Amino acid sequence: MLKEMSGKMCSSSNSVVQAQKLVDQLRVEANMERIKISLTAADLVKYCQDHRRSDPLLTGIAASSNPYKDKKSCVLL
Amino acid sequence: MCDQTFMAATFGPCDSCGKTGPLMNIYIKNEPVNYCSFCVEVMAYRGLQKGETLETLRQESDTLKKKLEEERGKLNDVELHQVAEKIEVVGALSIKTRRVLKGHGNKVLCMDWCKDKRRLVSSSQDGKVIVWDGFTLNKENGVSLPCTWVMACAYAPSGCAVALGDGLDNKCSVIPLSLDKNENLATKKKSVAMHTNYVSGCTFTSSDMQILTSSGDGSCALWDVESGQLLQSFHGHTADVLSLDLSPSETGNTFVSGGCDKKSCVWDMRSGQNIQTFENHESDINCVKYYPSGDAFASASDDATCRLYDLRADREVAIYQKDSIIFGASSVDFSLSGRLLFAGYNDYSINVWDVLKVTRVSILFGHENRISRVCVSPDGTALCSASWDHTLRIWA
Repeated sequence: MLKEMSGKMCSSSNSVVQAQKLVDQLRVEANMERIKISLTAADLVKYCQDHRRSDPLLTGIAASSNPYKDKKSCVLL
Repeated sequence: MCDQTFMAATFGPCDSCGKTGPLMNIYIKNEPVNYCSFCVEVMAYRGLQKGETLETLRQESDTLKKKLEEERGKLNDVELHQVAEKIEVVGALSIKTRRVLKGHGNKVLCMDWCKDKRRLVSSSQDGKVIVWDGFTLNKENGVSLPCTWVMACAYAPSGCAVALGDGLDNKCSVIPLSLDKNENLATKKKSVAMHTNYVSGCTFTSSDMQILTSSGDGSCALWDVESGQLLQSFHGHTADVLSLDLSPSETGNTFVSGGCDKKSCVWDMRSGQNIQTFENHESDINCVKYYPSGDAFASASDDATCRLYDLRADREVAIYQKDSIIFGASSVDFSLSGRLLFAGYNDYSINVWDVLKVTRVSILFGHENRISRVCVSPDGTALCSASWDHTLRIWA
């Protein structure tokens, strides 16, 4: 049994350490407190709506205030 | 690909069997001991509770997995796009290429913006790292590290240094930036992190003092820049970790990572504990990015989809996909409000998705090879994309 284990150490399906860790991890995750999507999604939507005016890529900002957009150049006659 | 990896801080004779090798530092009855991985296995086997066998553990993990599925299913009372039905559609976007940054001699693998919103750092496969001024296209600093692939780069919050993740050296180093263009910065390179495989991602935490790295060795790690000491390591992925992102929330001490095991994991930085795991993708996850509020994150994968995960509902809430999109997505980033999701693909395009209505808003064309990274500037005015076509583009 022990010899078998040493050869298959790296395979997760036979390792006791891996199995124990997996069970411990799943226990932690199963006990997590979760909130319904209708509530959490509403929060995501609210965040977007609250910040939409300060999102330059979404609303587009004038060339004069966007350093990357080319400004109309002045021609000196 | 990693098998049974662990952060081996010690090498020497095992306290149990005496064989010399990499040792795991563990505690037995609160006494620290150093055992080789075989002896740890034997001990774990002996430590099984009465009646427990490998079989019972496997059965328990199966039941727990089913319970998890059930719990998550209970919360799925409505779809995200249904909640978003009432809000107005995103108007036509006027996003175009405004700058093309040329200067790299090979595939540009990574880039990052500086907090001053105009500087950015980019790194490429030929070992060159360039700091650019995005407004003027001026190359402010350049470092040449000839024998390496710089797969990851990050700007320090202060703007005074950059961190570089090495693909061949397996290290993450920090280089202080200088105002003197002629100074040879390569000599000031300071190694901070050491992994046993390539460093795929790196980021500073809230200050210049700590770096978080992700690696092909399947682990993530938190390091102290000054001493190079490993502060915390994060194990749980069963294959290469390709990406990580720090939570933007001020109270959050968490980060998310994604990798070749198709899983994305959320971690507690202080304890090293894996808090949440998501296994929905059908292929490697190339990039993970937090939603601006910190309550959700998006992931990009080789399965040609990007997905949104809600952390409080603990489940996937949206899939951004189209039958016509068949190439893998390599990178994602959110716009400032979180309404738009920019995703770079291996078909050379960047798709812009409406995060809430789960529809595609626009496609940005221009690059002539795969997109390796997309990143929105800190003030949200521009998007920068890095590509295998040796250039970077700034879109606004």
